[in-house]
Amino acid sequence: MSDRLRLGSTVLLVAVLFLFPFIRDSVNEEVARFVSDSESSHDGLPTEWDESQVICIYFPAEYPHSVYSSGVSMIDADGSIIGVNNDLNLTGACVGGLEGYTDGLNFMMDATRVAGGHLAVGYFVNPNWGEFVHTIGGLSDKEIQGDFNGAYWSLTHNGRYSMVGIGSLVMEESDVISWNIETW
Amino acid sequence: MLDAHAIVLSPFETLVLNLSLLAIVAWSMWKAEKSLDSGNDLTILVLITIFAITGRILLEPLPNVQPVTVVVLLVGIHYGATRSIGVATIIAISSNLVMGHGLWTFYQALGWSLVGVTGALLSQSLRVDDKISVSRVASVSFVAAFAFDWVVSVSVLHTLPLETLPVYILAGLPFDLVHGVGNVAFAAWMAEPISDIMSRHSTNREVVVSPVKSSS
Repeated sequence: MSDRLRLGSTVLLVAVLFLFPFIRDSVNEEVARFVSDSESSHDGLPTEWDESQVICIYFPAEYPHSVYSSGVSMIDADGSIIGVNNDLNLTGACVGGLEGYTDGLNFMMDATRVAGGHLAVGYFVNPNWGEFVHTIGGLSDKEIQGDFNGAYWSLTHNGRYSMVGIGSLVMEESDVISWNIETW
Repeated sequence: MLDAHAIVLSPFETLVLNLSLLAIVAWSMWKAEKSLDSGNDLTILVLITIFAITGRILLEPLPNVQPVTVVVLLVGIHYGATRSIGVATIIAISSNLVMGHGLWTFYQALGWSLVGVTGALLSQSLRVDDKISVSRVASVSFVAAFAFDWVVSVSVLHTLPLETLPVYILAGLPFDLVHGVGNVAFAAWMAEPISDIMSRHSTNREVVVSPVKSSS
């Protein structure tokens, strides 16, 4: 009995580990369906982006970005700034006008590259939990000090906290993701 | 200048290296136990705790596969709830010094403590004829994987609203599954040898009254 259990469980473990990426991706697709496509996720963004995928980076008031420090700059897919929204009570930048991305990390890297280095992303890869973004636009989570234990870049997907990390995020058309600093 | 530290290992090579290191740790502890007198339960607790900490750290390349849950369950079965809580908490803190310490450490310590307490409560039914039942330990450890992961998932309520918890738990199911299957494999391989060692060094061992030959 115990020999059979040893062999069987070891084979099963190896099989599950091999299948793990597929299982995780298919569950994440199901999870993405739960994240309702909130119509308000495009609020405050240029109307020409209504059908496109958008990423926004918001900086804390104490740590403004060196360039996008007044209102939220709207950067189109070709790198041109098509407007600044000063009504959001936030500062930072959004990049929009992109389409066809399904992989969250690919989208984030391509979209932030549009800003020509001003929104450069730094992340490390944890073998268990995937990509962890620590720096955006020169602001590292380690720099942020205050009356709290620590700070991190938090990912929002269509206006709600993302259930998965950027590396596992499955994007659909007209999705909006945004990053802002949260503390714990 | 030679710089052997510049060698970059692939994930698979890292895993092979880590498994070899873990095998050395397990083998040396196995040997060390042989030279112990019986009744050294505290020494066994220390050795088994170090093994679990090392195992959790070295198996990090595999998602959620680690020996801690099964070890804590066995400590609960053989040495009781209090000691399993101590072992669970020390393992969580010590391994997180390497893997990252934060608020989640508390929930991991809590989750593993609950596994240990469950082991203590079920200790009679997890044994058959005073010998550990590997299949029962494997079943309990499979369920414990999900229970532990969900206890730790509750920690996200510090940052996420309550209504998102079910979706968060759903997103974690693949990790729960691999934890559960890993536990069954660890139980299959380790439950018997570790139980034998713990029984040899248990302070709760029953007094064996051997019949005294009468000289008549």
